[in-house]
Amino acid sequence: MKYNRTEISDKIGFSSVTDPKFKTNLLTVRFITSLDSKTVSANTLGVSILSDANSKFKTIAEMSKKLSSLYGAGISSFSKKRGDLQILGFTASWINGRYAFDGEDLDAEMAQITRDCLFSPNAENGEFDSEIFKIAKKDLLDRIDAELNNKRGYALSRAEELAFKGEPAEVSCTGKRENAEKVTPADAYRAYQNILKTSQIEIIYVSSEENNTLKEMFAEEFAKIERQPREYVFASKSPLKSDVETLSEELDVRQCKMVMTFKTDSDDKFAISMLSMIYGATPVSKLFMNVREKMSLCYYCASRFSAIKNVVAVDSGVEKSNIEKAKAEILNQLDEIIKGNITDEEMQSALLSLDNAYNSIGDTPSSYSNWYFERFCDGKIVTPQEHFKNYPEVTKARIIQAASSLKLDSIYYMLSKEAE
Amino acid sequence: MEKNIITDKITGDKIIHAKHDSGLDIYICEMEGYSSVEALFGTKYGSVNTMFKMAQDKEYTVVPEGIAHFLEHKLFENEDCDVFELYAKTGASGNAFTSFDKTAYLFSCTKNYQESLKILLDFVQAPYFTQETVDKEQGIIGQEIQMTNDNPEWRVFFNMLRCMYHNHPVKIDIVGTIESIAQINADLLYKCYYTFYNLNNMVLSIAGNIKADEVLEICDKCLKPCEDKGLETVFPDEPESVVKSEITEKQPVGASIFNIGYKCKPESGKERLEKVMAASVAADILSDPSTEMYQKLLKEGIINSSFGTEVFTGDGYFTVIFSGESDSPDVIRDTVSDEIDRIIKEGIDEELFGRIKKSNYGGLIRELNNVEAVANLMMNSHMDGVGPYDTIEVLSKLKSSDVLDFMKNELRKDRRVMSVIERTV
Repeated sequence: MKYNRTEISDKIGFSSVTDPKFKTNLLTVRFITSLDSKTVSANTLGVSILSDANSKFKTIAEMSKKLSSLYGAGISSFSKKRGDLQILGFTASWINGRYAFDGEDLDAEMAQITRDCLFSPNAENGEFDSEIFKIAKKDLLDRIDAELNNKRGYALSRAEELAFKGEPAEVSCTGKRENAEKVTPADAYRAYQNILKTSQIEIIYVSSEENNTLKEMFAEEFAKIERQPREYVFASKSPLKSDVETLSEELDVRQCKMVMTFKTDSDDKFAISMLSMIYGATPVSKLFMNVREKMSLCYYCASRFSAIKNVVAVDSGVEKSNIEKAKAEILNQLDEIIKGNITDEEMQSALLSLDNAYNSIGDTPSSYSNWYFERFCDGKIVTPQEHFKNYPEVTKARIIQAASSLKLDSIYYMLSKEAE
Repeated sequence: MEKNIITDKITGDKIIHAKHDSGLDIYICEMEGYSSVEALFGTKYGSVNTMFKMAQDKEYTVVPEGIAHFLEHKLFENEDCDVFELYAKTGASGNAFTSFDKTAYLFSCTKNYQESLKILLDFVQAPYFTQETVDKEQGIIGQEIQMTNDNPEWRVFFNMLRCMYHNHPVKIDIVGTIESIAQINADLLYKCYYTFYNLNNMVLSIAGNIKADEVLEICDKCLKPCEDKGLETVFPDEPESVVKSEITEKQPVGASIFNIGYKCKPESGKERLEKVMAASVAADILSDPSTEMYQKLLKEGIINSSFGTEVFTGDGYFTVIFSGESDSPDVIRDTVSDEIDRIIKEGIDEELFGRIKKSNYGGLIRELNNVEAVANLMMNSHMDGVGPYDTIEVLSKLKSSDVLDFMKNELRKDRRVMSVIERTV
């Protein structure tokens, strides 16, 4: 595998990852911008519409026709939250040209489609085509409404809203329905033009062969734009609330959900990461083995660490009558770690699990793309293996210290309406 | 041990198939340049296998709903420890799943695959159930049942199957019900285990950063020879008609969702694969964003980007499903039916047919790019009685007339069911 990143313009990076084993190519363009309730919906629409059509393939039908003729090539857009930032993206993926039985130059075709989507969208007189926009907007509103369909995901996002109240990170990456409803085709177009001008941009191309065409194309197109890129802070600690805040919602569900959010001011990210593994991130973790297996208090009970906001969240699916017992045991298991109750086996298993996870990065084009984007945000480009080397140095004492630094910030409950 | 090499003509990828002396079929795909390993040890035993006997038995045994899934949970427990604890020593990530017609135990790892493979082969061959651990599991699975009841995608799908099938056990929930799992005991679990976990009814599939010789050597050491006892599973007679055409349930969801299913005649082996390809292409033709029908529904706000299709099939069942979010699923149902009638009358657009075939071909190439997908492909195709690379060949031979015939014979209004989860919030 070969990795190479060049800055093609101020705050625009182009990385190529070349690995001969792949049968498909993946291009991801990420626009990094601030997360703000006032702009989040227009930004999302301004980028999501790009993969529906462009000035050459003016409708979803025409675009779909073109892509299916290129062996089911795919283009899509996304809006994600990364701490206090909104990451908007455009992706294109297609099979390697050597499998094209009609001899098409798939790389050139996809480069042209990408160029037209990003730099020549279906827009006139400062606004996106109204027909395409109407469909994209309905789709966004439907995505916002459908969030409740997935109860575990919904609970996690409500918990984030509560934990990050007053911070940009409280805003969801799609925005609120009432804000999205107000966005016009002109608003979305202006938002996209502003993104092109002010965002930091990271482009990552994963393929089996080196190819400079895409890099040259992006350099040429961005040279036409008068850029005024902003500086963004990629990680920011979330301040701890003075009192633990709770939020309960009643829904007609059978299984209740509880998400406990802990915050820390510790900078020892490797120790917190190991702590989360031992606490609740694997099937041999303390939460899984005790809260689920031994005590049968939850069907699932897992912890996850977000280094971006310095937060550990424990989410669980629990019967109403067991909520208080489960909460007490989740806190008790953290106390066990603080007391030093960590076995050598637990340390070893956490390390092996991490080693396994880091080593498998690179077996799919998207894992490479995500890895190198995250390292760019970290400000340090390293391989997964180099990154892993930090973990065996984490001692039990550092884990205990990390555990002691965790403070409960907030709890979100989704409660069933049934009687206990 | 018989060994043969199966080569994909397009990519040149190779798979080794071995029929081990123990009775087990083994599929191995060495994937150069990859770091990870994915292994699946599966049995052709799922939630639909509720009635069975061995050649020597006179009577069929009938078991409670959800027992295959229950057995999967219990097999993860050894006499002295949990299997997760064994994997924790190698760094592998272990898991298992039960579907309608199979149960599989799997691990993925990047190092020490030999040790993890030994763990996998050993624990699946060493059942240990006691009434005490069975009782405890009833509580855990009871919670899982409650959780699946809150999952609208799960509910809309099973409601559809219940409307579609009169007798076939595909209509029962994979996890069973609180009442059915209460009937499970250690003896019943052993009975099911020794019936279905016979190596002659199982397959090992392993792909990625491995060496075939090492895999086979470990198999030689760990596999216990099994006598083929002539397993027979039986399914109740299933009429071609559906039970009822429509079902609606209200749930606290933000977006109403639907499944529109067509009940088709089931097939097996290569015929099933041919029918699956015809059905997939038919469904793609009926849901392709370039068509007038799709555009009309999209512009009127009846469908959104979640609109999609699936071909769902196994022993004794075959269904084509249209699904998505909508407040007007009845309009979609009627429009799809009208479009089927139009195509049957006017014929298939050859340009569209060609593009869809090309697009499906691209999807198959993508599948071969992924260790996990390759391991699953090898297991699934074996259980379906076809070769791992047969799909590309069947696709290349597919004619538009095959697809038209499928639409005429199988996508019938009188075998159509609509299931809806309606929002209450």
